[in-house]
Amino acid sequence: MEVNVKLFATLREGRFKAEKTELQENSRVIDVVKKYDLPPEEVAICLVNGRDADNDHVLNDGDTLSIFPPVGGG
Amino acid sequence: MREQLPLRYQRNYKTISLEDQAKLANSTVAIVGCGGLGGCIAEEFFRLGVGKLILVDGDHIEQSNLNRQLFSTEKNIGQPKVEAARDRLQVVNSSVQLKLIADWFNEDNAAVFFEGADLVCDALDSINRRISLERACNRIGLPLVYAGIAGWYGRIGVSYPGDFSVSRLFHEGEKGIEKTWGNPAFTPAILASLSVVEAVKILVGRDVSLRHSWLHVDLLEMEFERFQLN
Repeated sequence: MEVNVKLFATLREGRFKAEKTELQENSRVIDVVKKYDLPPEEVAICLVNGRDADNDHVLNDGDTLSIFPPVGGG
Repeated sequence: MREQLPLRYQRNYKTISLEDQAKLANSTVAIVGCGGLGGCIAEEFFRLGVGKLILVDGDHIEQSNLNRQLFSTEKNIGQPKVEAARDRLQVVNSSVQLKLIADWFNEDNAAVFFEGADLVCDALDSINRRISLERACNRIGLPLVYAGIAGWYGRIGVSYPGDFSVSRLFHEGEKGIEKTWGNPAFTPAILASLSVVEAVKILVGRDVSLRHSWLHVDLLEMEFERFQLN
């Protein structure tokens, strides 16, 4: 299946803004995090088709997964 | 009508009407954190003519603050941040009341610190304390304008009691990527301005844009993207 992965802020460094990726059926959010070697501590928000999702969320063909790092300063 | 406003506010008249200006003058805003975000937020509220500001920060000015914090200067290193804020703000607008709290916010002191406040602005630099601030505002019944910054990036939204937007967006932890990327002067200034815009809308009774949603700010690519919280 194909999932559209969108990375935000510093997660784009050395990677990409948006990319369509081929995944096995029943892949989860964590599989994408691992595939792109995203440091777990730099993954704060995951949205699947604009809705909150955690690492165990199972992806479907055509989904858009957006991933954001933690931004904590003031 | 315009002439009924003090001269300093008259040129804002089409944006902030006489009625809105009166609402601002009767409002109290608490700002938690008096650093990069908090300094710019406080300055803007003073220039807008809010009635009273409550500034909460237990910290002192350090050299490392000079890269972004409006109230830090080469001459006030070591001064409590809320006092540095007072020194600047009282010469900007002497008609705004100022309550200084040179102490650290926690969930136990929040009700006393925020007494009389109409809303709270989060200008903290800790994710855990930001989540704790939302819990306190929820309990007291105050709207919270929250923002977080790191490097070229920021995130901002509005959380009303019961929304718990902050706890959904900022997962437990002390620091984010600002640990590595720092906070250059432009990022807090922009996120502070966005915070004040939403806060003013709340105070004058306009529709708020960033409730049940949040804005991702990317200054490197100049992308401002809004996401729903559903």
